[in-house]
Amino acid sequence: MLTLEHVTKYYDQLKAVDDLSFEVKKGEIFGLLGVNGAGKTTTFRMIIGLLAKDNGTILLDGKPIDYNVTDKIGFLTEERSLLTKLTVKEQVIYYGVLKGMDEKNILNRLDYWLKRFHIEEYKNRKIKELSKGNQQKIQFITAIINDPELLILDEPFTGLDPINVEQFMEVIKELKEKNTIIIFSSHRMEHVELFCEKLVILVHGKSVLSGSLKEIKKSYQKKNIHIQADVDISKLKEIEGVIDVEKTAEDYIVKIKDQESISNVFNYIKKCQNVTEFRVEDPTLNEIFLEKVGVLYED
Amino acid sequence: MKTKLKFLVKQSLGKKIKTKWFKIANILVLICLIAIANIDRIVTFFGGDFEEKQEIILIDHTNSYDFFSSYFLSMSNSLGEMKNYEIQKSTENIEKLKEGLKEEDRVIITLDFDSENYLKSQVITYNPIDTITYQLLSTTINQLKSNIVIQTSNMSPEEINALTSPVEIEKITTNEEVENAESQDIISVGVILVIIMPFFFLITMLTQMIGAEINDEKSTRGMEIIISNVSPKVHFLSKIIASTIFVVVQGLLLVVYAILAFAIRMLLNGVTQTSGMEISGMIGDLWQTILQSGVLHLLGQGLPLILILFLASFLLYAILAGVLASMTTSVEDYQQLQTPLMIILLIGYYVAIMASTFEGSLFIKILSFIPMISFLVAPVIFILGQTTLMELFISTIFSVLFCFILFHYGLRIYKVGILNYSSSKLWKKIMKSVKKA
Repeated sequence: MLTLEHVTKYYDQLKAVDDLSFEVKKGEIFGLLGVNGAGKTTTFRMIIGLLAKDNGTILLDGKPIDYNVTDKIGFLTEERSLLTKLTVKEQVIYYGVLKGMDEKNILNRLDYWLKRFHIEEYKNRKIKELSKGNQQKIQFITAIINDPELLILDEPFTGLDPINVEQFMEVIKELKEKNTIIIFSSHRMEHVELFCEKLVILVHGKSVLSGSLKEIKKSYQKKNIHIQADVDISKLKEIEGVIDVEKTAEDYIVKIKDQESISNVFNYIKKCQNVTEFRVEDPTLNEIFLEKVGVLYED
Repeated sequence: MKTKLKFLVKQSLGKKIKTKWFKIANILVLICLIAIANIDRIVTFFGGDFEEKQEIILIDHTNSYDFFSSYFLSMSNSLGEMKNYEIQKSTENIEKLKEGLKEEDRVIITLDFDSENYLKSQVITYNPIDTITYQLLSTTINQLKSNIVIQTSNMSPEEINALTSPVEIEKITTNEEVENAESQDIISVGVILVIIMPFFFLITMLTQMIGAEINDEKSTRGMEIIISNVSPKVHFLSKIIASTIFVVVQGLLLVVYAILAFAIRMLLNGVTQTSGMEISGMIGDLWQTILQSGVLHLLGQGLPLILILFLASFLLYAILAGVLASMTTSVEDYQQLQTPLMIILLIGYYVAIMASTFEGSLFIKILSFIPMISFLVAPVIFILGQTTLMELFISTIFSVLFCFILFHYGLRIYKVGILNYSSSKLWKKIMKSVKKA
């Protein structure tokens, strides 16, 4: 289990991480959300030991993270951290040996992962000759080559097309099944929603919302109602408890302030013609983020 | 951690050695050394005006052609004059010969008896004659005059022999360490060539390589992955060890190339016997000079210390280059920071060159104790006999101690600098690193 308790980090006078606490159990996927400069990468760097914390404790299975345990950790940085002059094989061997693995084992696993990501032919190609997406795949392979107990993924889907994102997701889910502790950040909220069981939203280094995704959504009063019918938008907006109405290409999305307002909207819809859909949904994570942080998450 | 250190050293060394550029550079260095060692043959091979003989036309009315030509040519050989001379006797009309001077680069010499001065002569050329040829001609003509005077003075053969035989001059030098100034000059040139030049070249290579490698890892952010798995100390050590091993290997390769170049020269000398004998003679003379100078004896005494001093200095430069590179984020920034390092190296270089000129200089002696400069200065002044073995020992100890101190404090800066990507000004970054250290 990964445990952070009251972790604080200063850059000169700036408090980059402020009294942050959370824990991630084995087999859990944990999301760290926040706008740029919120303290996500600083938190990752403190976990991996690249930055010294000013206060608090960080423990992996009850022990401080030092060079005795880093062999069990996989880390994917936000920026490309590959040595572009090396070949794929040399690169993976390089980082693999630094994880305490032997070369034979690394090569066996490398062959497996290259095949899995359909890039076997790049094994002896230099990193700089690869596309951004393929470089990201290699970076991901270097992070998981040691079959880590703790996997830290800082923006893992950057530069990937939807098919490759799907591949990454599959692998991450497999690692979760193997009881790996996975902690990650992403700019894409739909990825976070798809993956994360637990999350923390950081604003200026401070946690403004944390807990399991289900609970967070459940505790959030506002709901969205998807409607397909012949409706009068102005009348919809006048209903008590309706905050806003959006018209999309397929339906109307009615945003309501609480559970009780559903019946008010339903009573109106009953009177409308051609009703084909009336669906109540929890708000998106992005809406919750907007509510808490004041800006949309993405960008 | 030892396994990881070994791997990092191997990886870093492999990155430098297993490249086509290392091979190409070494092949070029070998070719250049062979070319330098055989430059005279290469110049000769391509031919040129230097093959033409300087023609000397002798209009002799004194019947001295044989003496003139043999004396002139032996003088020319003894001075090691590179020019070839061809002396011809002529009975043609002098005016006619003068007409042809413009087309043919000749020297016309006239020799005539003179009632008052025994001999009179003219040296006629179209362009001004070169100084060495004129000096040779002047000496030969004066000697010829002496001969004529002797022959006409009714002296006995014993008297003539006593008059013409060379004076025996005994050369005595009272400095026991360096027998004469001539041999000291040869030694200083040799020391500069053998010690200073290659080490200057190797240190420059060392500092540039460390900077480029660390910046490569930093700029690609690969450093974050590396440092998350090995401590900055292990990483720093791996760079220092790998770079030092590399320059030692490169230095040894240079020695091998020099031997090869020399062997090729000797081999070619075997093919062309005459010049081979000349070179063998020259080498013999040089070797004799070195033996007489006592350099080998001094070198034998000081070699272990000199080697330790070199190694410590390589490490010093490697540590400093590593620290400077850790504080920068690009090769351009590093090059700015590298400049003071190069200036220190240049000071050592010039001081070492000046050591033979300013013999006994206190300033040079003080510099021979200062780490980072001492490895260039101390061995030179030791071999030139200007310092003692104890002083060389002190220089070595200073460098070794400074090495440990610099590593101790340098590592602190390295730890801070290596993950510093701040884009603020370079010197501000340095001060920040030092403060944090």
